[in-house]
Amino acid sequence: MSFDWKSYTPVIIPDIPNLHEIDVYTKNGGYDSLKKVLSNDWDSEKVINEVKAANIRGRGGAGFNAGLKWSFMPKPDGGPRYLACNGDESEPGTFKDRKIFEYNPHLFIEGALIAAYAMQCSAIYVYIRGEYYSWIKMMEKALKDAYDKGFIGKNILGSGFDVEFHVTGGAGAYICGEETSMLESLEGKRGYPRVKPPFPAQKGLWGRPTTINNIETLACVPLVIKNGADWFSGIGAETHPGPVLYGISGHVNRPGVYELPTGMPVLTLIEEVAGGMRNGKKLKGLIPGGSSTPILRGDTLEGVNMDADSLREAGSMMGTAGMIVMDEDTDMVEMLWRISHFYHHESCGQCTPCREGTGWLEKILLKIRNGDGEIRDLELLIDLCSQMEGRTICALADAAAWPVRYTIDRFRDEFEARCKKSTYALA
Amino acid sequence: MANNYEFTPEDLKEIETIKAKFPEVMPATLPTLWVAQRRFGHVEPEVQHLVAETLDLPVSHVHGVATFYTQYYKEKMGKYVLDVCTTTSCQLCGGYDMLHYLENKLGIKAGETTKDGMFSIQSVECLGACGYAPMMQITNDVYVNNLTEEKLDDVIESLKADKMPEFESVGMPQHTERS
Amino acid sequence: MPEIFIDGKRYEFEGKPKLLQFILDNGKEVPFFCYHPEMSAPANCRQCYVKVGTPVQNRETGEYELDENGERVIRWFPKMQTSCSMEMTDGMVVHTQETSEEVARAQKDTMELILINHPLDCPICDQAGECPLQIQTYKYGPEGSRFEVKKVHKPKRVELGPRVTLDAERCINCTRCVRFTEEISETYQLTIASRGDKNYPITAPGMEFDDPYSLNTVDICPVGALTSTDFRFKARVWEMNQTPSIDITGGKGTNVDLWTRDNLVLRLTPRYNENVNTHWMPDEARMAYTKFNENRISRPSIKADGDNQIKTSWNNAIETFAEKLEAVKPADVLVLGSAHASVEENYALMKTFSTWGVNDFYFSPDVKEGFGDDFLLTDDQAPNTKGVKALGFSETSAEDLKAAIKSAKVVVLLNDELVDRGVLDSEDLKKPYVISLATNETETSKSTDLVIPITCIAEHAASYVNVEGRIQRSLPAKETKYTHRKLDLEMSEGRLDRYGTNFDNWVNEDNKVDCTPTWELMNNLGKRLGLSIQFGTSREIMDEIASSNSSFEGVSYEKMDDENGIQLTGMNKEEVSA
Repeated sequence: MSFDWKSYTPVIIPDIPNLHEIDVYTKNGGYDSLKKVLSNDWDSEKVINEVKAANIRGRGGAGFNAGLKWSFMPKPDGGPRYLACNGDESEPGTFKDRKIFEYNPHLFIEGALIAAYAMQCSAIYVYIRGEYYSWIKMMEKALKDAYDKGFIGKNILGSGFDVEFHVTGGAGAYICGEETSMLESLEGKRGYPRVKPPFPAQKGLWGRPTTINNIETLACVPLVIKNGADWFSGIGAETHPGPVLYGISGHVNRPGVYELPTGMPVLTLIEEVAGGMRNGKKLKGLIPGGSSTPILRGDTLEGVNMDADSLREAGSMMGTAGMIVMDEDTDMVEMLWRISHFYHHESCGQCTPCREGTGWLEKILLKIRNGDGEIRDLELLIDLCSQMEGRTICALADAAAWPVRYTIDRFRDEFEARCKKSTYALA
Repeated sequence: MANNYEFTPEDLKEIETIKAKFPEVMPATLPTLWVAQRRFGHVEPEVQHLVAETLDLPVSHVHGVATFYTQYYKEKMGKYVLDVCTTTSCQLCGGYDMLHYLENKLGIKAGETTKDGMFSIQSVECLGACGYAPMMQITNDVYVNNLTEEKLDDVIESLKADKMPEFESVGMPQHTERS
Repeated sequence: MPEIFIDGKRYEFEGKPKLLQFILDNGKEVPFFCYHPEMSAPANCRQCYVKVGTPVQNRETGEYELDENGERVIRWFPKMQTSCSMEMTDGMVVHTQETSEEVARAQKDTMELILINHPLDCPICDQAGECPLQIQTYKYGPEGSRFEVKKVHKPKRVELGPRVTLDAERCINCTRCVRFTEEISETYQLTIASRGDKNYPITAPGMEFDDPYSLNTVDICPVGALTSTDFRFKARVWEMNQTPSIDITGGKGTNVDLWTRDNLVLRLTPRYNENVNTHWMPDEARMAYTKFNENRISRPSIKADGDNQIKTSWNNAIETFAEKLEAVKPADVLVLGSAHASVEENYALMKTFSTWGVNDFYFSPDVKEGFGDDFLLTDDQAPNTKGVKALGFSETSAEDLKAAIKSAKVVVLLNDELVDRGVLDSEDLKKPYVISLATNETETSKSTDLVIPITCIAEHAASYVNVEGRIQRSLPAKETKYTHRKLDLEMSEGRLDRYGTNFDNWVNEDNKVDCTPTWELMNNLGKRLGLSIQFGTSREIMDEIASSNSSFEGVSYEKMDDENGIQLTGMNKEEVSA
């Protein structure tokens, strides 16, 4: 890819000072997309079709076409319908949505309003992880301003469209990033993921039709309305288009969130965008899209791009585009144990395979890390992964199993070296 | 259960505002626990009872919720709770070193509180600041990014003087580059 | 009609049943823990996995696509499905563990994970022998364990409330108990606390699990996490016999099982009856078992000098009974039936005395206003109010009763604790000669002149009509001095009766009460009085009642057994409220 990343002008978080202030936002064309859909001949179907055609693939990790998701909402029956915006952002390696809350909250608000209009929702909730207290405050301020300006509430901009918009926060639970768990948490309960079907579009918040979208996904919507679906789908990778917020962390010189088109070569992102490896070290491994996505060996990244297809081919996933970069000194056993610790800590405890499996994985890895592991423990770990994958209500068990399966698979020598010869004795 | 805790009129007003956001009262559980924790510094059993009474919900429900979410303090904590992130990116960038430095400095282990009740240390899961690792959060409030031993020394000193660090806005590198 | 193919066999179905329930209803088995037919299905144990596919249909014609062999093309779900939450659709194809290695493997996988943190304490666990986890582990579980690291530790021996004890380490987090308090008893007293493998069910801090239905959570707990504080460590389930019966502490007629060992009833548990109590039973009713064992009147007793009762012989008791009657006119005898006694007992009493010449029969209703809860507790505290009324006994108020006693010379009182429950003072019974036919020593029995012990519900087969007009019957679970379990055909057989020796569990003669069924007592009295009455077994008595009293038309033990009780005509639920 010959894309000159330095010439790319960010659009989700453009370089405009104080853009988070509503006056600055409106001065720079903010809320024009909302006005456009509310004032012209844009009906609900037209908005959905435009967004569908843009092919905004969900930025929360699943990568599902947002417009298509919207089209699953049943016909209005006069009762309430909801849009729930997922700002839980808790997959390790992911720290992008908070940038939107901080630097361009109104773009997201505008996107959510357009989505609510398209799906004829009566209320919007944005659920933000509890740790993001500072960012919850920012969103509360931004929403208040938007209410005051008449972009939210009754008869928005004289269109007859009414919608309420509320912020609510979590309180420390990774699982609440899972969409149905987030709904439970929003309803004030323990964040237990729900059995599907029924899907949220049929029975979501308080049993009513609900669509859940990621913050960044919704932030793309006003851009699509403004510039057209073709513009959006023409950016970046063909099958996974658009601008995307890459969160780059780990052993790089300039970690942070970067807005660039999808499909960026992984090595360009690491070596150029993020300023290269720290202390001139060699690249050993990369987790491309949050800690649940399978790790890739540093020596297999040539030609791999950050989009769904390329990453699938390479043996991983796009996830949240939260890239964790590891240098040659990284202890993969230690690293994997810590990931397993995370999933063990965060399992909600509802389903047997996840509740029990995540703890077992961690305990075996801890044993290997402490030098007490045996080669057969590696086989057991892989076996356990098979016992967890696809066997639970939500995907947390899969998210916990994949790192184990693939890290052992791709760095097997390192794990074997840590295992001792069997000294197992019944005494 | 006799209760030594009471919401202030302002708290009750805030709780009413929270309730108004939702079609039912149960969704107010999490935000009301937050109001309580910010008021009392914890959500010990008596506070859980207070929240249940205030919202007219079963105490068992409030207890189930309070114990599910890790940010609620189910017991009294230090005045300042130092949540040091040690998940992957922070782990890779020295999060454990920062944690151990703090432990040595304050003479307590993660999960403990100093005798004077000033500080608690916790090793916590990913706080969503991976690009600014290692980092920590203070008492569920401000994030302190790119920790170093010197930075920790400064933070502890200012906290001892009851001064919370300011919110650090970490810009987009793309922006700063051009500006 | 829609069809479904389970393990290669075709079934038809109506509506939208859930797969697991359908499989169970058709006599097949898939292991499960969290599912309960009366509560929501959280699908959290992940044990009831099956492989499910649906036939591929042509979008335009709607016809099934066929392969080269003419068989329907099946599109299999990519993941295995929990059958408890799977809604059945037309043409669905299902493989259980019987026909799919993959399913059997998945079930074994889940079982291994359930077991890793479960203590290996079956030998000291009360649930052993009736433990779904134990049973299903034997049937579907892994042969060995690969778990060589530390188990999670949680609170043990927690008194959740006055009646339920928790061992959180045994809990497998099926949430049945929590759902019970949310969906059935609606007390919301339990929650799951904490998260992940640290979670377990508990009350809110400082709160007691005193739900009036709390012990049902012990019944539905699929492991030994919740046990009955009263029954804990009393007996192994395989040492006990299980006999169907009816709750006698209220008017609902809750179906129960009596659990006996060594001729003592050790516990009561609910028995499923979809028309009465489904799976549930109030805690209060569970404690009734003590009455079957303790303070039993064994051998007749008679007031000798002053107020002191002394034991006497059966012959002397019958003789005294008869002499007292012969000394007065039938009009001077007050015969009191009892809503706490069965239809057969009341009938035998009434028939005997009307043959002898008594015309009027009374009983005192036992109603506590406001006690009922629209679930299984009723205002009516007696099990047979409707039955005794249908036999022709007239309700009498406390005042009228006192007056009647005052003017009577002899009172015959069938098992009713009139003094204990405050209807009468013991002073009221001073004047006439009072003969009580009673099961237990009470203030009432102590206040009477002649006490003749009769069998209790645990010792006889007899019928009771509940507040809704449903007649249901008991079976004898305990031997008396005069019965023999091998000879009494109504008695149920336990595991040890069938496979053990005679001496395994029926060793203690002391636990046999010296008493007789009311109808046998009436036979002896009738013979002595020269009356032309002869009662056979209670089964025969019921046939006699059915043929002579239109309220009981069509009632028989066979029919009651076949239909799990019979709704008497003209006694439906609506009428009852009055």
